[in-house]
Amino acid sequence: MNPHRILLAVLLLLVPVMVRAATIQMHVNGLVCAFCAQGIEKKLRKFPATADVVVSLGQHLVAVALKDGEDIPDPELRKALTNAGYTVTAIERSDTSIEAIRSRLGQPKP
Amino acid sequence: MTRWPEILVGALALIAPVCAFTKPIAFANGTTVMLEYGAGTMWEAQIFYAPQYNYSVGGGHVEFDSDTTLETVRVTYARFNYLLHRWNLESAQANVFVWGGAGAATGNSFSGTELTGNAGAQADYETRRIYASLKADLQKANSFSIRVDTLQLGIAPYKHDYNQIATWFVVQARQYTDDIHHGTELAALVRLFKGGAWIEAGITNGGRLQAMAMFNF
Repeated sequence: MNPHRILLAVLLLLVPVMVRAATIQMHVNGLVCAFCAQGIEKKLRKFPATADVVVSLGQHLVAVALKDGEDIPDPELRKALTNAGYTVTAIERSDTSIEAIRSRLGQPKP
Repeated sequence: MTRWPEILVGALALIAPVCAFTKPIAFANGTTVMLEYGAGTMWEAQIFYAPQYNYSVGGGHVEFDSDTTLETVRVTYARFNYLLHRWNLESAQANVFVWGGAGAATGNSFSGTELTGNAGAQADYETRRIYASLKADLQKANSFSIRVDTLQLGIAPYKHDYNQIATWFVVQARQYTDDIHHGTELAALVRLFKGGAWIEAGITNGGRLQAMAMFNF
């Protein structure tokens, strides 16, 4: 087989891994107190793919850092937040690190 | 009435940030412990476990010591709490809870132990700056029927975030039936909470300590 084709095939296989999001940011309604944040954090940390969780009451934001090469499907995230008693209004994926999000929110490192 | 609830609440105030409001269900798979010292008229301890976000099961013990008569009543009960409805708004949340249960009571105005029924409801609304709740809780047996109605209005001097201490100034109005207390008991409270712990303490218009603590884990 043509080595160029082999190389191309390998690269194509790697692309999904290389562009996989580092964090998932969810906008959540009903986040008003520390108890809300505590319950959501506890729930999201149970996912094997979760590396870290940041909750901001001020920004109505829940951010999940993913372990390398792993992901959590949107329906599972929505189900987790709904089962925790909250309403997810948007889910966004980005390569922004959880440290950068924490810094933007003015939250100290754990 | 024994003094240990007052001592216990005081001790907890020393180890936790002194303190938006109590809920019979905090979050799914969470355990809630609540302790209240009600100005010498009532004290109550409760523990609940919530398998899901919308219901919890558990029990508690409450003692009433009448201000106006010599009546004392002690009730130990099991209870089911249910979140009837929740409104999740962008910057606010509102809830309606109901509960019911059964227990056993002893007291100095009747002999032996009486079977009791318990029912109640709570409606609340909260943003990060204001809070309001109205709660009614009834303990009923053959020899007594005690309902405690509590209205709380709170304001936060600043918007707290997760990992920060939240501070609330709360005014409370409470009425008891069955001659436990005559008139409306008013209280000014300071409430602080952080993470899964909060405590509130204050004073009533009768100059008595009103305190409460709640822990979620």
